[in-house]
Amino acid sequence: MAVGPASIARPAPTTGRPLSLRGVLEREGVFSWAMLAPGVLFLLAFVAYPFFYGIFLSFQDRRVASPGTFVGLANFVALAQDPVFWQVARNTFIYTIAATALKMVGGLGMALVMNQQFRGKNLARAFLLLPFIVPTVLSTVAWMWILDPTFSVINWSLLHSGLMTQTFSWLGNATLAMVSIIAVNTWRGLPFYGITLLAGLQTISPDLYEAAAMDGATLAQRFWHITIPVLKPVLVIVTMFSVIFTFSDFQLVYILTHGGPANATHLFATYAFDIGMSAGVLGMGAAVALAMLPPLALLIVALTLYLRRE
Amino acid sequence: MTTRREFLAGTLAAAGAAALTPRSSGAAPKSMSVVHESSFIKPFDDFFVKTLAPEYEKLTGIKMNYEPVSVGGMLTRLTTMAETKSGPEITATGINWPHLFDNSLVDVTDVAGEIGKKLGGWHEIVQDVVVVNKKWKALPWGNIGQLENYRTDWFKEVGVTKFPETWEDLLAAGRLLKKKGHPFGFELGHGFGDNHGWLYPLLWSYGGREVDRDGKTVLIDSSETAAAVDFCRRFFKETMLEDVLGWTDVNNNKAFLGEQISCTNNASSILVVAKRDFPEIGKVTDHALNPHGPKGRFHVLNAQSHAIMTYASDVKAAKDFLRWLYDDKQLSRWLIAGDAYYAPFLHAYDNHAMWNPEPRYMPYKEALKTSRYHAWPGPVGHAASESVAKYVLVDMFAKACRGDSTKDVIATAAGQLKQIYKTKV
Repeated sequence: MAVGPASIARPAPTTGRPLSLRGVLEREGVFSWAMLAPGVLFLLAFVAYPFFYGIFLSFQDRRVASPGTFVGLANFVALAQDPVFWQVARNTFIYTIAATALKMVGGLGMALVMNQQFRGKNLARAFLLLPFIVPTVLSTVAWMWILDPTFSVINWSLLHSGLMTQTFSWLGNATLAMVSIIAVNTWRGLPFYGITLLAGLQTISPDLYEAAAMDGATLAQRFWHITIPVLKPVLVIVTMFSVIFTFSDFQLVYILTHGGPANATHLFATYAFDIGMSAGVLGMGAAVALAMLPPLALLIVALTLYLRRE
Repeated sequence: MTTRREFLAGTLAAAGAAALTPRSSGAAPKSMSVVHESSFIKPFDDFFVKTLAPEYEKLTGIKMNYEPVSVGGMLTRLTTMAETKSGPEITATGINWPHLFDNSLVDVTDVAGEIGKKLGGWHEIVQDVVVVNKKWKALPWGNIGQLENYRTDWFKEVGVTKFPETWEDLLAAGRLLKKKGHPFGFELGHGFGDNHGWLYPLLWSYGGREVDRDGKTVLIDSSETAAAVDFCRRFFKETMLEDVLGWTDVNNNKAFLGEQISCTNNASSILVVAKRDFPEIGKVTDHALNPHGPKGRFHVLNAQSHAIMTYASDVKAAKDFLRWLYDDKQLSRWLIAGDAYYAPFLHAYDNHAMWNPEPRYMPYKEALKTSRYHAWPGPVGHAASESVAKYVLVDMFAKACRGDSTKDVIATAAGQLKQIYKTKV
């Protein structure tokens, strides 16, 4: 039976009472809506309004601090002819696919290790969460130093260990810059996968593993035939969230490369910000931001349908 | 214990009461706010907070709040203020912002006229960026110049005792310095100032232009631009580190102070920090004007100004404050506190005491004569900003440096500019 807010509220008094604020609130319908109102208002103000306003803006030639004029799909047509937009689209897909795949594999590995019994497990779990807990801006500034050509600890280590004779330009070379932002995103997002999958792992009954072991199943067979099928719903949900976060990533790229070198790391969010806020072309900026919607909506629908079918 | 219903009833009652309480209103504001990008020169900000604001409050009873915004964040703050029509009454502006926010800024022609009359008149060049449709929309207090910052000791080591006068001579010096392990580092990445700070002057000095005065004729596809691009590729390959392609504005400062590079294009903040934190480097750092190209010598104009937002509840009070602030008694002391970081646009300060303590800042004053706004000689408004925000020019040079052909990078830039300036592609 569905349990809604109305059914958990106390029954409304049926006898006649003078109309007062308290009396009105005692009514089930009123009380339910009063409880729901803050959440609904929050969603309307901070999710629905910006979303619909963004759609509205994308159909306008709207410059900052100036009235806009309706231009229909002109902003989207202009974007379709903008080579940088297509480069941004390609960058965003590469970034999202690579980082999500790495986080999925790494996070699963992390969860499997954390699910074992060993000394200092709780401490290790706490440390593994650090990348996720530390504010992105702060940790990204630390990465700026790590990837800095002059002060890079990676370059220093490679050089002094004799593995390399010259240093890498982590953020100056187009390919390495993309590799670097994917690596930093993976580092930051791994604990999200790890902890969520660990929670999923802990719901698997040890009896299943014991029964499989008694039937002679190898470690790999137990992993593929017990762990993965049971974890699949969690994996799908966490992947959906991760893709959304990664696809719309902003802070990390904005701080590390600002989309450079020569747009090699520009993503939808950073490009939308540059056009909307730095150039003051709000309509076009909104159109770039809205370009994120179709692929994300498709993904969410596909994954939700998949979960339902399962 | 309070029940949920009682809490809700109490909250609603309190909110209702607050909404119905009439707001007090008075003739003069009790306080006003000024928003500024945090200065690289901390004493400049401190002087406002600790000296100017208290003095003004003592004089008028109006408390002046100073709201600093992190470096690079001022345009976003101003956009938010203009769009929401709320926030500080007085704002700092830079580059071409008075043109972008024309509708949100009060006409201050009267105040500009009074200040100009008292302080020897305004430099003509600054009017390009603060006068919109013949109305002054902002009052400039100084330019943040972008000049050559170099190591005198390392240049001497390779036999260069005077900073090269032309780009070709600078390239020759850079070759020798790179061989000695002292490469150059000029930003070619997506920063907010140090990239355009030398790439526009480089383009102009070879005779290249983005767009014509009419704002309709895109001029980037020219032999002059090709010459500038070809030079830039050689300059990058023969004098610089590969990392400059990914640099943002902090990187060249760090690299210079980390003794990794011998020359860069920057404001005077490198020397200011060096004198404070790395005195040995400070002793061997100097500034020079950008080199000449075949068609002249140029610098970028970045006029820092104050403007009044149209939503200010008391425009007269805001104007009165700016009149007071731009009086020599105040402005003079504030500019001195700024350690000559801002080169003033008022002729009374051409030979002011602010230039005496450190002659190495003098080139920043001289650069005013050859400074031009971004996208010059095209229109100074929205399209110019779009070109800057999309890094059209920076990426044209950066792509050439990473190996793309001159023809291709210019064609890409031309396509982008035609779209920005709404001309036929």
